[in-house]
Amino acid sequence: MQALPAKSQTQPFSFLEKIWRNYTLRTVIQSIFTVWAVITFIFFLVRLMPGNPIEIYVNYLINSENLTYEQAYNRAASQFQFDPSASWLEQYFGYIGQLLRGNLGESITSTGTKVIDQIMRFLPWTVFCVGLALLLSFVLGMLFGMIAAYYRNSWIDNLISIIAAILGAVPDYIWGLMIIIICGVQLKWFNVGDLRGTFDPSLQPGFTFAFIFSVIQHALLPILTYVMGTVGFWILAMRGSTTSTLGEDYVNIARARGLSQGRIITAYVGRNASLPLFTLLAINIGFVIGGSIIVEELFVYKGLGSFLFWSITQRDYTTMQGILLMITIAVVFSNMLADLLYSRLDPRVRISGDS
Amino acid sequence: MNFLKLVWQNKAGFVGFCGLVFYLLIITVGQWVVDFDDDVKLDQINSPPGSRLILLTRPEDKERYVSLADLEGHSVGVLEKTGGPAFVNNYANADAIKVETYKWRSSRGVPDALEGLAKGEVDALVMFSKLAQRFVLDSENRYFQKDYAHLTISNSKLGPMLLLGADTQGRDMFTHVMNGGRILIITAVTAGLISTLIAFVLGTIAALVGGMLDRALVALANFIIVIPRFPLLVVLAALVTLNNWVLLATLIGLLAWPALMRAVRAQVLSLKERDYVEAAVALDLSQAHIIFREILPNMMSFVAINFVVAITSAMYDQIGLIFLGMAPINDYTWGVMLYFGRSRGTLFNADSAAMLLAPVIAIAFFQVSLVLFSRSLEELFDPRLRSA
Repeated sequence: MQALPAKSQTQPFSFLEKIWRNYTLRTVIQSIFTVWAVITFIFFLVRLMPGNPIEIYVNYLINSENLTYEQAYNRAASQFQFDPSASWLEQYFGYIGQLLRGNLGESITSTGTKVIDQIMRFLPWTVFCVGLALLLSFVLGMLFGMIAAYYRNSWIDNLISIIAAILGAVPDYIWGLMIIIICGVQLKWFNVGDLRGTFDPSLQPGFTFAFIFSVIQHALLPILTYVMGTVGFWILAMRGSTTSTLGEDYVNIARARGLSQGRIITAYVGRNASLPLFTLLAINIGFVIGGSIIVEELFVYKGLGSFLFWSITQRDYTTMQGILLMITIAVVFSNMLADLLYSRLDPRVRISGDS
Repeated sequence: MNFLKLVWQNKAGFVGFCGLVFYLLIITVGQWVVDFDDDVKLDQINSPPGSRLILLTRPEDKERYVSLADLEGHSVGVLEKTGGPAFVNNYANADAIKVETYKWRSSRGVPDALEGLAKGEVDALVMFSKLAQRFVLDSENRYFQKDYAHLTISNSKLGPMLLLGADTQGRDMFTHVMNGGRILIITAVTAGLISTLIAFVLGTIAALVGGMLDRALVALANFIIVIPRFPLLVVLAALVTLNNWVLLATLIGLLAWPALMRAVRAQVLSLKERDYVEAAVALDLSQAHIIFREILPNMMSFVAINFVVAITSAMYDQIGLIFLGMAPINDYTWGVMLYFGRSRGTLFNADSAAMLLAPVIAIAFFQVSLVLFSRSLEELFDPRLRSA
């Protein structure tokens, strides 16, 4: 009764209101807005900061190739893809226009190579490695977290919780170092040198058994490192979530109805307890991708992380800017996907947005 | 006392607490107990843990010259640019000993000194155990074995033991481990303080003021949270020259606050609705009273736990940056030890595992102590968890 007059008041913008109430659309719009903000941030970071990359690069060109300031500036402009005579506002819109066409500029150190091509060469390896590791540690974490919650305050729970806390406390690259030093160098379970790179270079890429085996072999250590670094977090999160779900009325009622233990665990407890973990998944993706810089450097795994580090040490600023942008966009969109997935799994989220 | 009793109840938390006390002792008292070893010693490069200076004599003098005291009035040989000369000169009655210094590796180097001993130029030779192993004891080494095999070690425990061996410049690693945590921990705590303070202030303001300011602050936090922190830090470290730890701590602190700020905001929003706060508002108590006497005390546990968590994540960022070589390496910290361990290839050398494992374990145990302690803090502040 009271809602009616309120509705008629917002008539001029009612279609905006409707969009805002649609959870899916709202999430997508928010993500696009975030991506725009990130692009803007990185644009100004690279161009307007004191001692910004363009200035450094121009000075470098003047010193190393004896160019005049004009020549050096024009060279920098062509590689960073901006019009030197334009105002920074025009440059900004030009930059966004280029990005919309999927153009991230040219590499500074290897002239003529498109940044986007380079990124596409290295990105799949990182996605493969990080994705598989996240999936593994998510599943393992759910499993052990539920076991700990079921036997809470017993020795099983204490053991799992302590191990999870220790695994989660130590940085992933420290686990990687320990794996190399203890398993590789001291116990000689594997030869560290042979496992460098993404696959055995003597093999021809293709759908052959040897190639796929080599790819998995080379990804094993980074994946193990990521899993060790993140699984503790998932175990503790799942344990907490399951513990609170076990106290819910619907679980007690399911028990009273005499449902089988297996059905209660999967359909009643497992499903509801794992819901909050999906929102955490998004935050974790960014964290693991961030850590991949060090882990990939450590295992000499040629993914996006080690490529970013390479571009930084080479002072290849266009590449650096492109990768940072790419990583952030990947994280924003995986955030978005996690949110949308969550809203499918838990309809309450979608509906509560209405009020 | 009550505090210790409560900590004792959670065994894991107690271990963490003891660990933190141990680290506190190391970074405060450690530097006076163990001096940082900065002397390059050519004979100790990459030496394994437990090696030390020994005394080498001719077989007939084996019983006569066992310590420097036995050598008073006699002559002893040392090698220059090694730990030997300093060791003999630091002996209380050094004037009574005639010291003969042999050159290190010019023309014949070590064999010269061994020959001097064999021919009777000196009565004993102060040498490093690794070197003796190579030139005297190693039966595989057929070049020197035949000439000097008869020389005997009269005292295999002459100098102090290098607990963790020596690094690529022959410096005692143990002193580096003891001295390498201070700057690292100070930086992490400062960064944690900065981020916790920003999160706390902005979160409280956002929750209490509300409206546009609230929305703007939350949007800012949401924006910073999606940019993966570590890649951004690495890029910023490439643009800004990080040449001191204050700058590093500030940079880490400035990027780490958003997650905590959102949590603080939610906490304050929920506390605002509590009966005792509404009662204080109804009693017309001042804003300051409500914030500092009603809301703040109820958030202390929450803030304390998150402060500890912030230290662990600052530690992660900081050591990661140092490991990649993007942060100051003029202070010789555990992170710098890892950096040199990797860049100088000792990572793959089976004999010098202690050189990398020592800082790795020091870092890992510090992080574990922090996390275990933060878990016991949770129980400490929340009586409901304690009874369980």
